[in-house]
Amino acid sequence: MSNLALHLERDSALTLSQASTGCDFQIRAVDGPACRQLRDIGFCEQMRVRKLTNGRNMLCTVCGTRLALSKDLADQIQVIPA
Amino acid sequence: MSSSSIEAHIALIGNPNSGKTTLFNALTGQNQKVGNYAGATVSRKSGQFFTPHGHQFEVIDLPGCYSLSPNSPDEEVTRDFLLGDQEGETPPDLILCVLDATQLERHLQLLLQVIDLGYSVVVALNKIDSAEAQGLRIDPTSLSEDFAVPFVPLSALNERGIVQLKQALRFPFPSAPGRLWKGPAELEESIELSTKVAEEEGLPKPEAHGIQRIACPEDADTEAEQFIVKTRTEFIQRAVEAGLQRPDGSAQDFTDKIDAHALHPIKGWFLFSGIMFAVFWTIFEFASIPMDWIDGAFGSLGEWVTSKMNEGDFQSLIVDGVIAGVGGVLIFLPQIVLLFLFISLLESSGYMARAAYLMDRVMSRVGLSGKSFLPLLSGYACAIPGVMATRTISNAKERLTTILILPWTSCSARLPVYVMLIPFLVTGSLSQTAIMFGIYAVGTITALLAAKFLKPRLGATEPPQFLLELPPYQKPQWRHVFHQVRERAFSFVKKAGTLILGISILLWFLGTYPKSDSDDPVVQQENSAMGRAGKLIEPIVSPLGWDARMGTAMLTSFAAREVFVSSLAVSYSADSDEPESVRETVTNAKRPDGSPLFTPLVALSLLAFFIYALQCLPTTAVVKRETGSWKWALGQLGGMTAFAYLAALAVYQIGKLIGYS
Repeated sequence: MSNLALHLERDSALTLSQASTGCDFQIRAVDGPACRQLRDIGFCEQMRVRKLTNGRNMLCTVCGTRLALSKDLADQIQVIPA
Repeated sequence: MSSSSIEAHIALIGNPNSGKTTLFNALTGQNQKVGNYAGATVSRKSGQFFTPHGHQFEVIDLPGCYSLSPNSPDEEVTRDFLLGDQEGETPPDLILCVLDATQLERHLQLLLQVIDLGYSVVVALNKIDSAEAQGLRIDPTSLSEDFAVPFVPLSALNERGIVQLKQALRFPFPSAPGRLWKGPAELEESIELSTKVAEEEGLPKPEAHGIQRIACPEDADTEAEQFIVKTRTEFIQRAVEAGLQRPDGSAQDFTDKIDAHALHPIKGWFLFSGIMFAVFWTIFEFASIPMDWIDGAFGSLGEWVTSKMNEGDFQSLIVDGVIAGVGGVLIFLPQIVLLFLFISLLESSGYMARAAYLMDRVMSRVGLSGKSFLPLLSGYACAIPGVMATRTISNAKERLTTILILPWTSCSARLPVYVMLIPFLVTGSLSQTAIMFGIYAVGTITALLAAKFLKPRLGATEPPQFLLELPPYQKPQWRHVFHQVRERAFSFVKKAGTLILGISILLWFLGTYPKSDSDDPVVQQENSAMGRAGKLIEPIVSPLGWDARMGTAMLTSFAAREVFVSSLAVSYSADSDEPESVRETVTNAKRPDGSPLFTPLVALSLLAFFIYALQCLPTTAVVKRETGSWKWALGQLGGMTAFAYLAALAVYQIGKLIGYS
């Protein structure tokens, strides 16, 4: 991928906590102190995720599973619109 | 070949709530506890079964884990077992990997990790009926080809596909497929090197240790780890492209509709409080009917025995010791049955995880997370499974804090004491329910405040994180719910028939001997061993408003809380000639000056003591095991007893000052 394309993609990436509710996203990167824990429960790169609610603890579904996670964890997940 | 010998060991492994324990029960015909939330299995269990070919296998049910990089102590058990690091255990011959068909992409991660370790694997594709109902189309043959291991679709709950699974477990087992992906030369070299190092260290299963050390290193998030995670995810995505079709996911399903209310920031709390209040109200309102029967039955039994036996010590032992003691505790069976029924129902239906989600907001105020709520709620039934359930809490300090405060969530053993004491405070079932609710609230609030006080002092600084799977709602598994309730009820009856019977007889002896020459029962009781012991501790308990006999009953209750009720029944029954129920006996008890002993204030002081005291030696033993030190276990015992004493003291003295009697 060219540098320009990489830049464009980075710009459109959001963290899961910034993402708007009711939309589908694809996980671009999981980065932060809890990344292993997040990957283990299903927030792996490439996976599709739908955000359901906002708030202190947000709800989302990954492959048909409902998961609740706190904001500081959601901050460690970067997504792009799917 | 003898048919009774075990030919191979199979380990059940899978994500939490993938149905391992249900499958284990279906395979072995056992009835282990099943919950619909992560962490129902906190330690390993084993059982045996025969395949259609006549082979006998041992199957081991391991705690659920999301991956082989452990995030909590229960996941560590599983990882160590698979790596052969668990002391006294040999690595299994085959892994039966349980995957939830409705969440295939997520659960396949664990399968790949297990295959990477070099095990022979058979996959139980569980909950296939739910997957079909959701419109998922799964092709087990295609998945079997991609992963090079057999996939057996089944529904453990409805026992569909169990025979096919047993048939797939052909002995001797197929050889392990081995790692399904390849990394760049550099990575392959380092895996090879790490395997060699493990071999030289003399570790069991060196090839498993080799890959595990690279894929899941001590210092998280290395480049190699990232590469492996990415490669595994890509492998899975390629496999599911051919083997799984999801329907268009826009339709709201049943669980979404309920969750819109159950997790709503306002409606959710109304629902939660409503459910909790209904639980406690039912325990009070409906349980009173069978309780009156039991009370009456033991009363008539006492009268009947009195009329059939000659008066004397033996009659007194049977009527005042055995019947009064055991009857005084058995009467609470209906309430314990109801409490366990509700807790099992909440677990089994999936609501428990929603309660944890709601409670996270409250728990975070005191430095805990919603994950601590599950153990704390189990603590309302019994502290021991509650302490065990803290293993799902990943943060060590949060776990220790939860263990330390857990006995302040009122367990069911306190219920008999509360139920006996509350009628001294108020009458009417609604106000009694309100008081009961208040007692649970006081215990819980103090526990939470204690957590706020303790956690920073234990050296915990990082804020709690919350990550929880919310399982879909399902109809309760009635068979398992009833089994669990039956088991609890049975163990309660067994306790009444053994420990409590023994203590009742002992108390009767201590309360009867040595005999005095006087015929006056009051003088006689003062002369007995118990009367003397009571006199000794009277100076300590009289500031609480208690008399010597309550003090003695409290001492006996350190063996088990319920004993308090039967101790009172036994020691006060000497005051009256007529056999009567516990409540009557205690209500009629008088001080030497003739004033009633159980005034509302005394009852309140006793309640305060029982809310806070840790009178349960088995809990102390489990806390020692779980925290690994006597320091915490004994500190908790001493601290809680002291706090209970001070609370009862404060209640009685302040009550007296303001003129409440």
